[in-house]
Amino acid sequence: MSGDHDPAVITAVLTAVETTINKGLSLAPVAQRELGDLAGTVIGIECTSPEVAITAIVESSGELHLTHYSERAMDTKVRGSLEDFIGLATAEDPAAALINGGLELVGNTAPLIAVQQIITTMDLDWEAPLVDTLGDVVGHQLAVMLRGLFRWGKASAGSFRRQLSEFILEEGRLTPPAAELDAFYEQIDQLGLRVDRLQSRLQKLVRRVGELKP
Amino acid sequence: MSDNQQDSPENPDTTHFGYREVPREDKEKLVRGVFDSVASRYDLMNDLMSAGIHRLWKRFTLELSAVREGQTVLDIAGGTGDLAAKFSRLVGPTGHVILADINDSMLKVGRDRLMDKGASGNIQTVQCDAQALPFPDNSIDCITIAFGLRNVTDKDKALRSMERILKPGGRLLVLEFSKPTNTFLENAYDLYSFRILPLMGKLVANDEDSYRYLAESIRKHPNQETLLEMMEDAGFVNCDYHNMTGGIVAVHKGIKA
Repeated sequence: MSGDHDPAVITAVLTAVETTINKGLSLAPVAQRELGDLAGTVIGIECTSPEVAITAIVESSGELHLTHYSERAMDTKVRGSLEDFIGLATAEDPAAALINGGLELVGNTAPLIAVQQIITTMDLDWEAPLVDTLGDVVGHQLAVMLRGLFRWGKASAGSFRRQLSEFILEEGRLTPPAAELDAFYEQIDQLGLRVDRLQSRLQKLVRRVGELKP
Repeated sequence: MSDNQQDSPENPDTTHFGYREVPREDKEKLVRGVFDSVASRYDLMNDLMSAGIHRLWKRFTLELSAVREGQTVLDIAGGTGDLAAKFSRLVGPTGHVILADINDSMLKVGRDRLMDKGASGNIQTVQCDAQALPFPDNSIDCITIAFGLRNVTDKDKALRSMERILKPGGRLLVLEFSKPTNTFLENAYDLYSFRILPLMGKLVANDEDSYRYLAESIRKHPNQETLLEMMEDAGFVNCDYHNMTGGIVAVHKGIKA
């Protein structure tokens, strides 16, 4: 009767996530309008570990509604582990993450990619709430400062990531280059397939030998 | 303390009012007295008593309702109208929500709250008894009763009345306090209900007795399996339930055949 997880706990988590996303969207009018264009889109998300299923519904107001239980027909259904979903949520190229990742997909992928891109790339306008709270002059000055700070933070983070990756790869020689690693994985896959084929042939031969015996 | 007794089997003329045995005809009046007393601070007390978790329980109930635009929803014992306001948005301008309560004071508070929230146009308020619902047969798509069934004198009669007015395929959702599934939680819950809750009632609403009644009435309410059987006996099919917060609350769902 009752599921493995307490619906109240899942509902609490979903409410917190939904409120955070919608709060962010309320500060990003362009993203909210773009999401509003996808109104009625229903995306099913089934996480295998931990085992939990949720549904994301795009509202005409440009907000996202997350539910633990839904009977609505889904446009897209995605299934995978929490790691796979985190990978998708943070991917710069969600289409590639969907194809190359461990996620199982049923239905139309376009709305899922569109929603992911709108939410991860939304440009928050901090000025409006700051001006409402602190007044025009102070609010604007603080918003300009915050914008500069975020820009600097984003650029610094990107630069740090690039430099760290260069150090690990080129200076420290701690990991092989991505292309070399991909080629290695490809060779392992090919080897695995050849072993499977060889095993099938051997089984076939053993069966034939067995049939030839009087 | 949890005994989940039904109306006194040894004396059909009496029923329980908390832990007291009272004549059946008096229970309605006594329950009305409790809710008249707490109506103005009902939402505040709910938030305090459940630490706001009642909103999560109601949100999940709303999800289970799967209500769509254009449908008719009846929220029995709807009190201050929090569920009705959300249903009003879900059914849209072509749908219809009926907020029903036996208690005039609660209904007035609910009507005012709904107006303050701007929820109007598709909401109607009706003062009625859950045991004799004044609606035509097969006329409602979904019925909800949240934290109200335990106050009804004859629960079987109320469930039959709900089954009568639901459309075939329509669903009933009963959100109600139930029996915790864990002994440790049950003991902690008993301590909270009989020591802390009446004290909070005294401090916030200046009404210790009403909140003691609430705690007692929860213990007298049927447990998960008993309520499930009662729903099946009333004619509902595909009945099931979901425990929430360790079984402190359960939401039962039944479909009219």
